[in-house]
Amino acid sequence: MCGFPVVITDVHFTQKSSCNSRTPAVMKERIVDLRSDTVTRPSSEMMHAMMAAPVGDDVWGDDPTINQLQQEAAALFGKEAALFCPSGTMTNQIAIKCHTSPGEECVCSDTAHIFLYEGGGMAFNSAVQARIISGDRGRITASQIASAINAEDAHFPTTGLVCIENTTNKGGGAFYSADSLREISELCRTRGLPLHLDGARIFNAIVASQEYSTYDIGAMFDTISVCLSKGLGCPVGSLLLGSHQFIKKAHRIRKVMGGGMRQAGFLAAAGLYALKYNVERLAEDHSRAKQLGTALSDFPWVQKVYPVDTNIVIFTLQPQYDALSVQEQLKSSGLLISSMGGGVLRLVTHLDVNQEAVDWACSLLQELKI
Amino acid sequence: MAPATIATTIIVDLRSDTVTRPCADMLYAMVTAPVGDDVWGDDPTVNQLESEAAAMFGKEAGLFCPSGTMTNQIAIKCHTSPGDECICSDSAHIFLYEGGGMASNSGVQARVLPSDRGLISAKQIAAAINSCGIVYARTRLVCLENTTNKGGGTYYSASTLREISALCKARGLALHLDGARIFNAIEASKEYTPLDLGQIFDTISVCLSKGLGCPVGSLLLGSRDFIDRARRARKAMGGGIHQAGFIAAAGLFALKHNIKRLSEDHERAQQLGNALSGLSWVEKVEPVETNIVIVTLRPPLEPTFMQEQLKRRGLLVSSLAAGTIRLVTHLDVGQDAIDWACRVLKDFVPEDDVKDEAVSTAIY
Repeated sequence: MCGFPVVITDVHFTQKSSCNSRTPAVMKERIVDLRSDTVTRPSSEMMHAMMAAPVGDDVWGDDPTINQLQQEAAALFGKEAALFCPSGTMTNQIAIKCHTSPGEECVCSDTAHIFLYEGGGMAFNSAVQARIISGDRGRITASQIASAINAEDAHFPTTGLVCIENTTNKGGGAFYSADSLREISELCRTRGLPLHLDGARIFNAIVASQEYSTYDIGAMFDTISVCLSKGLGCPVGSLLLGSHQFIKKAHRIRKVMGGGMRQAGFLAAAGLYALKYNVERLAEDHSRAKQLGTALSDFPWVQKVYPVDTNIVIFTLQPQYDALSVQEQLKSSGLLISSMGGGVLRLVTHLDVNQEAVDWACSLLQELKI
Repeated sequence: MAPATIATTIIVDLRSDTVTRPCADMLYAMVTAPVGDDVWGDDPTVNQLESEAAAMFGKEAGLFCPSGTMTNQIAIKCHTSPGDECICSDSAHIFLYEGGGMASNSGVQARVLPSDRGLISAKQIAAAINSCGIVYARTRLVCLENTTNKGGGTYYSASTLREISALCKARGLALHLDGARIFNAIEASKEYTPLDLGQIFDTISVCLSKGLGCPVGSLLLGSRDFIDRARRARKAMGGGIHQAGFIAAAGLFALKHNIKRLSEDHERAQQLGNALSGLSWVEKVEPVETNIVIVTLRPPLEPTFMQEQLKRRGLLVSSLAAGTIRLVTHLDVGQDAIDWACRVLKDFVPEDDVKDEAVSTAIY
């Protein structure tokens, strides 16, 4: 397997040029993709790890790299077992299905990915209803959750699950404090409710908050979904973590949902690499996001920039400006950003966008003529 | 062959064609593939694979999914409403090996028909279509598997397929092909091309991770409208993968290089079948039509015992039904390995309980 050249699609931002000497032609060749941290691609080292990985048929339990990733990830969070899936939607959906019975209710934030961005999966896959709560930038409190738990009465759906997202995506990358998490965990324990963490960006939360470790998180949540394909830079995949018994059930559900992959070790190898090398560096993404946030707040065409806690910057425009046309204009200049709907725009920093790229993006935004 | 001191255990894996791993050239294609975020529609390699595969079968669009279970389940879901019925063979993968997904994912009931080595006829299907009364589940979908897995790798004739297709069209039923091993059927039968199949079936599921040798993935092919809906279902089921181009590149390579060679797997399966016929511990070998060999063991031999004994001798086989073992040839098992496997099978004596490491002098 060694010996063939590895050609990696280079990082988007390849051209060095000082801001002042930039010409429209040069700008068009440059693409800085801040739409999401899902766009990250494997570095050449990650690619080497992927292609050198020993693989087998994971449906038969034979893939040693998958097995290693699952064991190591579980151990990292102090959980008994883990399950590698093609996506975070699947890990969340499997968790919801395994924790609940049809007709039950799942309490979550009104900005939750499981509610907004999983194609109605909660209902589609599990016949479960969402009980949504309005929190502070996507963060809900123990007190709010307590009020949302249904009383015992045949009219009311039985509350079957509480799901917390950390960091919050639509909430702008906000993270929970250790105290809030402990309170919620304690409440669920007292009320006999399972507690699931949509930890798509949990490492961002851990690195930014400095208040809890992966092990602490493992102690607070019954099950955890962790994305490898976002800020950690892997091309594909997420992990669902929990007890042996839970993961055994999850394994069955994964099969039924079509998540049983064969020689998936290639993908798992990227995960192993990322867990080893790509976690601490998330702090760089956070400081670059803050830099973008600060730059944006100075512009007259920006109405509000939400607090930047991690790698996501959410902002709105002054009423006379149209979000879609700003997005288009930026795109034609080589800067890709995403829209959250309702005039809200989003920028997400990640490991494929380095300091130079962010500096360039800042100056592009500064020179934007709307 | 006298047992000798051997340093390594040679394993020839005939459990399934799903165990195939990418060759160096396929890996190279994977590594050099341009990728993007497929959830945003940006992955050029996935897009290329989907459109090339669709064009190959004369379909408007394709959808790349992590598994054949997912492509089948999505197809069932998009063709039906909860409470409908799907007609299939009693040995169908969608009925036996997808975790009850038809019911669990789509609220659909299976109407299974007794099959002739996995194959069902237009006449059987016609008789199984429900009348209109409200007590009956509405028959909405017919699903054929070609080649049949549990049926032993058998394939449908062109005339049967056309008959069934005409029946479904006349009765307003959707017709889906579980074509996990469709290329084996095409190569073996020589009676139809991918384009012919595209005309016969409304939707087609094709596995890349089996005999074609890819590590992961399957494709669902159909009309643009159907695939748009399928894409939505795929998202909700968690099949939305980001930089999927790495895996899709393997698919592109396989469709280009690994189809014609399937006939080698068929010849090797024939060879195994011939070697097995007449052995003292074999009661019967099913006719070998493609790359699957099904062997009924002479009682009281049990599949688990046979699997263990053969494993100690370096040969891995599977079992799908009581009293039988299954061997599947594929591109990771070359002629030398098959020759060696034949010797192992011929030399096997049930009473010799080999406890030590496997004996082998051959390469695989």
